[in-house]
Amino acid sequence: MSDERGAGETASLGTLGARPPFYRDATVVKWLSQVVGLVLVLLGLFFLASQAQNNLEERDIATGYDFLGTALGSDLGSGIDTNPDTSGRALWAGMVNTIRLAIAGIALATILGVLVGVGRLSRNWIVSRTSSVFVETLRNIPLLVQIILIFVVIASLPRVTTDQGPIHGWLHVSNTGVSIPRVTIGDGFYQWIIFVIAGAALGRWAMRRQERRHDLTGQQTYPWLSFAGVVLAFAAVGWFAHPALGWVGAIFDAIASGIDALTPPIVQVVISLLAIAAAVQWIRRFLASHRTPAGLTKLIDDDWFRIIFAGAGAVLVILFVTLGWPGLSSWVINSGRDLFEVIADKFGDGRTGSPIAAYRPDIEQLGNFPNYGPAGLNLIQALAAVYFGVVLYTAAFIAEVVRGGILAVPKGQSEAAQALGLRRTTMLRRVILPQAFRVILPPLGNQYLNLTKNTSLAIAIGYSDVVQVGQTVYNQTGKTLEVVSIWMLFYLACSLTISVVVNFFNVRMRIVER
Amino acid sequence: MWGSDSDSRDAKQGRDGKGKHDVSISDATVAVSDELAARDDMIVCREVDKWFGDFQALSGISATIKEQEIVVVLGPSGSGKSTWIRCINRLEVHQSGQIIVDGIELSNDLRNIEKIRSEVGMVFQQFNLFPHLTVMDNITLAPIWVRRKSRSEAEEQALALLERVGIPEQAQKFPGQLSGGQQQRVAIARALAMEPRVMLFDEPTSALDPEMIKEVLDVMEELARTGMTMMVVTHEMGFAREVADRIIFMEDGEIVEVGTPEHFFTEPEEERTKLFLSQVL
Repeated sequence: MSDERGAGETASLGTLGARPPFYRDATVVKWLSQVVGLVLVLLGLFFLASQAQNNLEERDIATGYDFLGTALGSDLGSGIDTNPDTSGRALWAGMVNTIRLAIAGIALATILGVLVGVGRLSRNWIVSRTSSVFVETLRNIPLLVQIILIFVVIASLPRVTTDQGPIHGWLHVSNTGVSIPRVTIGDGFYQWIIFVIAGAALGRWAMRRQERRHDLTGQQTYPWLSFAGVVLAFAAVGWFAHPALGWVGAIFDAIASGIDALTPPIVQVVISLLAIAAAVQWIRRFLASHRTPAGLTKLIDDDWFRIIFAGAGAVLVILFVTLGWPGLSSWVINSGRDLFEVIADKFGDGRTGSPIAAYRPDIEQLGNFPNYGPAGLNLIQALAAVYFGVVLYTAAFIAEVVRGGILAVPKGQSEAAQALGLRRTTMLRRVILPQAFRVILPPLGNQYLNLTKNTSLAIAIGYSDVVQVGQTVYNQTGKTLEVVSIWMLFYLACSLTISVVVNFFNVRMRIVER
Repeated sequence: MWGSDSDSRDAKQGRDGKGKHDVSISDATVAVSDELAARDDMIVCREVDKWFGDFQALSGISATIKEQEIVVVLGPSGSGKSTWIRCINRLEVHQSGQIIVDGIELSNDLRNIEKIRSEVGMVFQQFNLFPHLTVMDNITLAPIWVRRKSRSEAEEQALALLERVGIPEQAQKFPGQLSGGQQQRVAIARALAMEPRVMLFDEPTSALDPEMIKEVLDVMEELARTGMTMMVVTHEMGFAREVADRIIFMEDGEIVEVGTPEHFFTEPEEERTKLFLSQVL
């Protein structure tokens, strides 16, 4: 090695076209440092894992995920299953609670945040002051304090009584929380939704047609109105005609039995072929994107790395399904069959009931005190506290993001639009918002991630989200590491999903520059 | 909402504006030739005042710009040239006095503002093209959404305008992909697409590299030859000398001197004008 270095130094300076010594060769250094880095990280992870394994074995702590199938000795406060059979089922119920909380929270926080953010820019003194106070108060108090505050405030409300409540029993507010009418999917919902989807497809076509008509003639054709009109018409017809689609369930039944007829080797072959096809397709596209009229451009080492990586990925997938985890194939078969059986079951055998059902909240008295019955949509105290806590807190930040995005559009843009005689709504729609949205999106995605992760504070007031349920599970089973790993994977999956969605829009909004 | 009485008010003001040739010529258009004086008034300003807080940006601006006239506004920076030109299509709101464009008075009446803005084209120092739209979409946006033209018609017109400003091949590019001079020419085409009767230029070449100034000035000269009414705020003395029918010199928010280029550059009367010219020439 020292010989090489000596030779390299004498040859490098002043000699044109000579290869530098390897430790100064940018390509070699780049590859070498990446490989060394990767090896070090893998070694580190391996070391930590083996240490944990050793320590757990020394203390006689059994590891593994068998506890997911064992019975859980306690009930959950709320969720899809308040009396789960197993720990796994309980964790699943907790995950569903978290996901519901996150989705509903993101929806309301976005609406509220946009309103407050625009409100802060309003020329109306009262609106802008109120919005400022909203933002400055909420973002400067820790979320945990806010959640507990809302919890305490709800607790100080009067008890549930059997009287009608405001608005003739359509709304109940008490120290147990809020109960509002529940709108649920009814008997014929899935058959009806086929009509709505067909309507949406046709409505899209109608919308395109109206857009083209506007382009051709310049007439105002209201494309969105025709879209909504077609969808509504289909929904209305489908409301009464949906029993005609009673045969749809049989199709899914047939698919389910088709999947059931497969054997594991077939699935392994199919997955392997799919992996190869995906890799080949990716490499072809990649090469096509590097092809210029003058022929294939020179591939830099990064490009080669990507191509090798795609091939290696396909090989890894094949090794995994054939050798790594042969049980995967039968799992795929089983869950595929189950999935289609469930769908077939949703359609049922010629259902005739109405697609959507609504119920008025009820109050029942089982023990000494009256309480909300199952008919209404009950926002119980703990849920209300977490929900409004994260929504208000995140809305304050979203408001600032929105305000910043609108202010980031240079004043010259609105001046140019005004000078062209554009009306205010056209200007906002065509000039300001497309540019503001581009600035707003990335930090908005961050706020969505924050909101989702902040729902874990539910543990402070005992709402049964995935963290609270997980705590119950590891208190009973002692499988702390395993539960933590499930939490991590769950939140990772949620965050990645949000990131993918936000990035999708982000790429679409990008502005082309030189 | 405003109904017919605002219509009749417009008409009355329009007649007033045209009926007072002698007055407007006597105050600020001293050096207008007889031929020019006989034309219709395009922009009439009477005693226009504008404050930014305590600072008076315009004080008692009175001037009349005739149809097809090319007026260049000169003056040191901070003299209120840009503020004045921006008042004419209400990007700034004047606090007192009258501004009448083509017989329509600028007031709080939204319909008047809309009408004037669709008749007055404006070109900005910083181009202000819409960066998220292609050159084609930049130009066709207003014809489609304000003039309610069909897209094919608007695109045909846009191509013709791009041809006129000399960059038809850039139609599908985004503003960020063009040079400064090309962007400013697109901005001119965008303003022309509304078929305005007056064009306002607010320092159109000040943000350009020296080698790109000429291509923009060439387009403006061509426009002047076609008989467009133009009001140009600029520091390009060459352009002022060559193209202008009249030069208005401003300082500290006031009109100091008005005259033909010949008069202005060779025998200015006011001391402040002489001082300014000695600094820039």
